[in-house]
Amino acid sequence: MKGAVVSESLRAEESEGDQATGTLARGVSAAIGAWVVPGFGHLMLRRWTSAAVYFVCVGGLAFTGLFMRGAVFGPGAPDMFDRLGFFADIGAGGFYFLAQLFHGIVPDIAHASGDYGTRMFATAGILNLLTVLEAFEIGSGRRT
Amino acid sequence: MTVLAVARNHFQAMLVFAFVVSVAFAFLTKRGLSERARYVLWAFLAFLLVAIGLGWVMYPFSR
Repeated sequence: MKGAVVSESLRAEESEGDQATGTLARGVSAAIGAWVVPGFGHLMLRRWTSAAVYFVCVGGLAFTGLFMRGAVFGPGAPDMFDRLGFFADIGAGGFYFLAQLFHGIVPDIAHASGDYGTRMFATAGILNLLTVLEAFEIGSGRRT
Repeated sequence: MTVLAVARNHFQAMLVFAFVVSVAFAFLTKRGLSERARYVLWAFLAFLLVAIGLGWVMYPFSR
């Protein structure tokens, strides 16, 4: 019974999103919103469930990675892999900039948990880039 | 505060990673609750199976 109610709400969420016509401007603004605050782009498109899930998933991965003492890469690194890491990390948008405030957490990539943390933060960024693409496609009417 | 309470060891870290990524992929690729639930279960188990399988395969090289 409860599952049916949730299923109905999901269907209502999707049909509500379908009613609005997509435009390029709507897609771009949703994509920017989705990058700045993970899930916010879907919130702008009235996809409540997706917005909450993406916020929790990206934020959960980013903070788990950070508290496992993973490295968060900065811009202008001389090493190619560090630069790739930066592009993955910056995908997390607001969480990347929030991570800069945690000066007390020193990265510890000499141990496996710190290395896992680095991968987790990068995964959060990549996942958020996928949600940005989805927000753009829904907003511009290319996807329902 | 070296490690989050939800990931006290490497296996727990892998469980958290597998679950979160499975849920995000399910919402990105599937529509409808039942389809998403099935996908989460399938992807989560696949993550675990592949990770444990690779662990077994690489075990002899760790010595």
